[in-house]
Amino acid sequence: MSRAYLGLALMCAMVPASGKLCAVDPARWIPARWEGGPLELSRRAKDKAVAEDASTRTATARWYDAETLDLLDGTPINCLLVTFSAGGESEVEGKQHQLVREYARAAHKRGISVLGIVYGGADPQAVAAAAMDAGLDGLAIDGEVPAGFPEKLEAALRAKGSAALVIPIARDAATARTSKAPWFAVAGVRPSARNLADMGIRAGASAEPWIESNIWLVRSFRLGTAWRPVWIDQRPKPTSEGDYIRCIADAAVAGGRWIVSLDDELRAKLLRKDPQALATWRSMGTYLKFAEDHAEWRSFVPYGNLGIILDTAGENPDIANEYLNLVARRQVPYRLVPRCELSAAALSRFRAVLAVDVASPTEAERKVLRDFAENGGLVVAGPWWGDPPKDDAYAELPLGKGRVAVYKEDPPNPETVARDMLDLLQPEVMGLSVFNVPTAISYASTGDSGKRVLVQLLNYAGRPIERVTLRFSGIFKVARFYTPESAPIDLAPRPAANGRTEVLIPKLAAWGAVLLEQQN
Amino acid sequence: MKDAHRTFSRRDLFAISGLSAGVLAAKPAAAADAAAPSAPSSPVSVAKVTGYDADLVAQLDKMFDQIGGIGHLVRGKTVAMKLNLSGASGTGRHTGLSAGQTSWVHPNVVGALTAIFARLGAKRIRLLESTFRKRYGSPLEDTLLNDGWDVQAIKSAAPMVEFEDTNGLGQAKQYSTLNVKSRPYIFPAFSLNHSYEDCDFFVSVGKMKNHEELGVTLSMKNLFGITPELLYGLVPKTPSASQWVRERVFHYGQVPPPSGVPQEIDLTSNRYEGWRMPRLLTDLCGARPIDLSILDGIETIIGGEGTGMPGTKHGKPGLLVVGRNCVCTDAVAMATMGYNPRAGRHEAPFRVYKNPKDHPTEQMIPPEEWHQYADNTVLMGEGAGIGTADLGKIELCGVPIKDAVYDYEAHWKGQAPV
Repeated sequence: MSRAYLGLALMCAMVPASGKLCAVDPARWIPARWEGGPLELSRRAKDKAVAEDASTRTATARWYDAETLDLLDGTPINCLLVTFSAGGESEVEGKQHQLVREYARAAHKRGISVLGIVYGGADPQAVAAAAMDAGLDGLAIDGEVPAGFPEKLEAALRAKGSAALVIPIARDAATARTSKAPWFAVAGVRPSARNLADMGIRAGASAEPWIESNIWLVRSFRLGTAWRPVWIDQRPKPTSEGDYIRCIADAAVAGGRWIVSLDDELRAKLLRKDPQALATWRSMGTYLKFAEDHAEWRSFVPYGNLGIILDTAGENPDIANEYLNLVARRQVPYRLVPRCELSAAALSRFRAVLAVDVASPTEAERKVLRDFAENGGLVVAGPWWGDPPKDDAYAELPLGKGRVAVYKEDPPNPETVARDMLDLLQPEVMGLSVFNVPTAISYASTGDSGKRVLVQLLNYAGRPIERVTLRFSGIFKVARFYTPESAPIDLAPRPAANGRTEVLIPKLAAWGAVLLEQQN
Repeated sequence: MKDAHRTFSRRDLFAISGLSAGVLAAKPAAAADAAAPSAPSSPVSVAKVTGYDADLVAQLDKMFDQIGGIGHLVRGKTVAMKLNLSGASGTGRHTGLSAGQTSWVHPNVVGALTAIFARLGAKRIRLLESTFRKRYGSPLEDTLLNDGWDVQAIKSAAPMVEFEDTNGLGQAKQYSTLNVKSRPYIFPAFSLNHSYEDCDFFVSVGKMKNHEELGVTLSMKNLFGITPELLYGLVPKTPSASQWVRERVFHYGQVPPPSGVPQEIDLTSNRYEGWRMPRLLTDLCGARPIDLSILDGIETIIGGEGTGMPGTKHGKPGLLVVGRNCVCTDAVAMATMGYNPRAGRHEAPFRVYKNPKDHPTEQMIPPEEWHQYADNTVLMGEGAGIGTADLGKIELCGVPIKDAVYDYEAHWKGQAPV
């Protein structure tokens, strides 16, 4: 447990919020958006987003009837984000606060924590007072709010003696990444795989489907070795069971948690106890439970012989994010090196370094990278390195025992860089090779100093993939395949060329994890 | 003509009803070179197949019998199969579908062929294709794994099964020069991977699909993949694979092949790819004659050769077409696809669509138009004396064409009955 996180836990345990203890250790919060009540309807009316269907509107209005807490039975969800304040009419806000107070009391009896969602326009003092009164465990700030709003809200809570947490849901990763908070909530994308041709994009014969994923985003918060809770906030459109479970897995693969969010139609059906909706809900519970049952995997450290230098204070955070996103999409495992920690020691763990996100490097940074190449490593750099090519996308120059690939463009196109990594890195350098995964993304991590290797895969397509082959550097005697749907099965690892181990996954429906172990 | 994909002319109607009006009438195409009256003919077998789980060994056995048998041709011989994998890495897919269900030949077809050739006594069976992005020389088997192929099962289907990526020298120290034995159009000879010379019986295993520039991809078109990118692609300043572009030599004739490699016959000839490529493919079929054509149309992609082309669709024609003569086989296959095998320029499928945004002006005739043309490759093959494209002169076996037709054009345009 990190020191920051330990502090948070102690604060929750020792400082009562409205005279009570946190129902659940915040690090174990498994969150769900649980919006409803008159304020939610009012807010949606203002946004012209009211459901046309009367039963759906009724479900939203009735969502804080105590019976909806029954839905949580059998699921690991233990933290509800309820509609709390949007700076609306005082009468509506008052009714909402009263409703939430009763609901929170009932939730707490079941050991469930409750966070109020606060939108822009809310008054910090009034919200803090209402949150105290309702006994909320925290407040989640959603959407655009005035600058300094989170700090004002937190100050108002503390002034009233409340230890309720304030969790801003960041709209962009760069902002959240630099936060010192012991946990993060950040807006993500809706996981999906789509054909480029269906998007009107002409592509070559090898073009893979376009995958929207948050796996890179979650792992991007792991700049050190310690795990910190990362919540991914995105709301799927009215959709199928497959989409919901994919949202859960997409956040969980790299150790995050999706803030479970149900579309209105599903919520209405759940209230009606529609069998199909209940099946979808149970399936979501199975996936959430799978993630928590394997919480140990969060202690595994990311694997990669490629280091990507991330400039958290860089001027092009979107481009920097795209390198992380698209290199992961090409199934190239990597670890992050914050630019502020760039040193010979930090690079000693790698065989290649992607340093295209290093603007105006200092002489000391240049020396570290030059020494790395001269000692046999590969440095992939932008034109700042010097002597960029005039015609080709990049030039590859020998340097000492190693080499440098210098790109012409500044900054280099992330898609081009990601694709070129497959040419620049030998499979043995990448360490992990995954075959037959055009609609999947892999994530490798290691435990016990590399004696155990975990390769997780998430298939973003609606249909299963058959016959996925993995190769990993090293000799492993045991391979076990875990999925949320079934009991683990033993795979047959077999030796492959160049000191690697190969395993075959017969079928990958959505989320699967192969645990390789060296033991006899 | 920006909305060319949605237009539908009387000519389209004629082409789509081509079986009755066009195919069987077998009218000569105005754009085609003169047909060689002596072009040979050979039987072609057509089968309807329910899916890749069907007993393909039994089905192909039956088809081989229908075309006269192949046992005597493969016994004790080295059989080489050029697989149509579109030169790709196996990652180009429609979501949820394997490449074998769209742009590649399916592994079950290849596995069945391997088993049959082995049973018929082939001494050695070699699987060949030139694939992209092989800087570190990863073997062809890895490319096949990328589509979930059971490579071990194929290997164990015969005593000696070998794989070779023919994009470069492969296992040889030099390229083989193969002269065009038919009437050459553009090149008199080609430098190729040794595998295309070191085989006794050459099989083109093609996919029955459309092609953006050439209308259709069949057994003749499959042979474009025998040209080694690492030789005909210009040698780049850096070893970036993305710069190996043999299309500049072949499609557009912008640059000559490297020195030491056979050069073009006439450097003043037309540089338009719709003119060049059908002739080039014919030259390739003349340099490395196809002994057996296998066309996999059980499942396929419609509207283009790869999943990256906008508007392409997955289809299930349920077709297998087999023949000894590649021109005859491709002609029959075109008919089963609902096309007139004697169609000329601007007739389906040789009225092709190219978005000007994606193609340099010099590659467009006329420029700034979606509507372009290609010449008919099978008629080029006929003109070169390789085989006849005249359905009236081809012995048809198995399922009659009229019962086999799967109308690609109508499916592409969304006009086929559901």
